[in-house]
Amino acid sequence: MNSNSRSLINIVRVGLLACLWAGMSASAAPPTAVAPASTAAPALPANDAVLPDAAATPKTSDFKTLDQEVQGVKKDVIDLNKDLFVLEEELLFPANTQVAVFLSMDVGTFFGLDSVTVKIDNKEVTNYLYTAREASALLKGGVHRLYLGNLKVGKHELVAFFTGKGPVERDYRRGATIAFDKGVGAKYLELKISDRVPKHQPEFMVKDWE
Amino acid sequence: MIDWSLRLCVTRCVFGLLLLGGGVQGYAATALVGTEAPDFALKGRDGKNLRLSEFRGQVVLVNFWARWAGDARLEMKALDRINATYQRAGLVVLGVSVDEDLRRAREFVDAMHVSYPMLFDSGSNIGRDYHLEKMPLTLLIDRVGVVRYLSVGFKRGDESAYLDQIRGLLRE
Repeated sequence: MNSNSRSLINIVRVGLLACLWAGMSASAAPPTAVAPASTAAPALPANDAVLPDAAATPKTSDFKTLDQEVQGVKKDVIDLNKDLFVLEEELLFPANTQVAVFLSMDVGTFFGLDSVTVKIDNKEVTNYLYTAREASALLKGGVHRLYLGNLKVGKHELVAFFTGKGPVERDYRRGATIAFDKGVGAKYLELKISDRVPKHQPEFMVKDWE
Repeated sequence: MIDWSLRLCVTRCVFGLLLLGGGVQGYAATALVGTEAPDFALKGRDGKNLRLSEFRGQVVLVNFWARWAGDARLEMKALDRINATYQRAGLVVLGVSVDEDLRRAREFVDAMHVSYPMLFDSGSNIGRDYHLEKMPLTLLIDRVGVVRYLSVGFKRGDESAYLDQIRGLLRE
C-alpha cells in the first residue's frame, strides 16, 4: 500500500514538474519566436553583418524580466513542493489510521537524554539517538516528532524506553507504558520527560492527546 | 585429457575475472555518488552521539571500517594526517566502525590514538543505507550533504586521491 502510494506521488510529482517546465519553456518562447522574421529578411551586406548581433544583445530590462520570471518559477516550485508534502502525508498516513508520537522535555535537571526506543504492540517502531544539540533544543521547549505511522482502529499498547544519564551522572534506563484506544481520527501521543523535584528523580509520562 | 582440464581451468578463471569485474563496476554503493548522503546518528568513543546532518556546511569525510577489512591501520594514520591538516579549513573526518565486536573495535581505536571522532555502529541501518558490501568504504560529502566521491578499499597512495578531492570540495 505504502509503495503504491509512493509511486503515485512520484508520478504526480513528475507530472507537475513536467507541466511547470513546459510552462517555463512556453514563457521563454516569445523572444525566440520573433527570430524567424529577422532571418526571413533579405541578406545583409557583409559590412552590416555585425548589426543583427548588436541588435540581438539583450537589454538590462530583458534580463530583469527574465530574472523575475525565474524567481516566479522558483516560488511556484516551492509552493508546489509544499502542497506535495501535505498531499504525501495525507496519502501515506491517512487521518483514520494515523498515529504520531512526540517527545518533549521539561527542565531535565535530573536526566540527560541519550536515546528513546518506542514499541507499539511489542514491535519496535523507532529507536532514536539524540545528539547534544537536539537534547538542548528539547530543553528549550522544542518538541520532536519521534514517530509517524499507521495503526488499525482498536486497542493498542505503547512502550517507550528512555536511556541517558540520571542523577549523579549514573546510567539510567526507564520505561513508560500506555494502553490506548485508536479511534477513527488521528491519534497523538506525547512522551514527556520532567523532573520530580521532591525525589530528585526524573519522571517519564505518556500523554494521550484526545 | 590434460588439455581439456587446462581449458576448463582457464575458462573458469576468465569467467571468475569477468564476474569480479562486473561486481566492482556494478557495486551498489557507487549509486550514492551525486545523491544526498543518508543521515545517521551514532555513539562516539566518548559516549556522545553525533549526527551526520549536523555537519551541514562543512566538507565531511566518512570512513567505514572494520578491523578485519583492508589495512585499517594504514588508512587511519593517513586520515589522521588529513584531519590534522584540513580540520581548520572546514573538513570533518568521521570514522565509523562496523565491527560486530564492539569491545575489540574500541580497543583497536584506543591503540591507534587517532584525533578525529570515531563512531561505533551497533545494529543500525547504516549497512543497508550505504550498501556496505565491501570494506573499507570512504565517502566525501560536500557542504550541502551530497556524496561527491566514493572509494572502496585502501592502498598506499590513495591518500593523494582523497586530498585532490578534498581540496576541490573545500574550494567550492
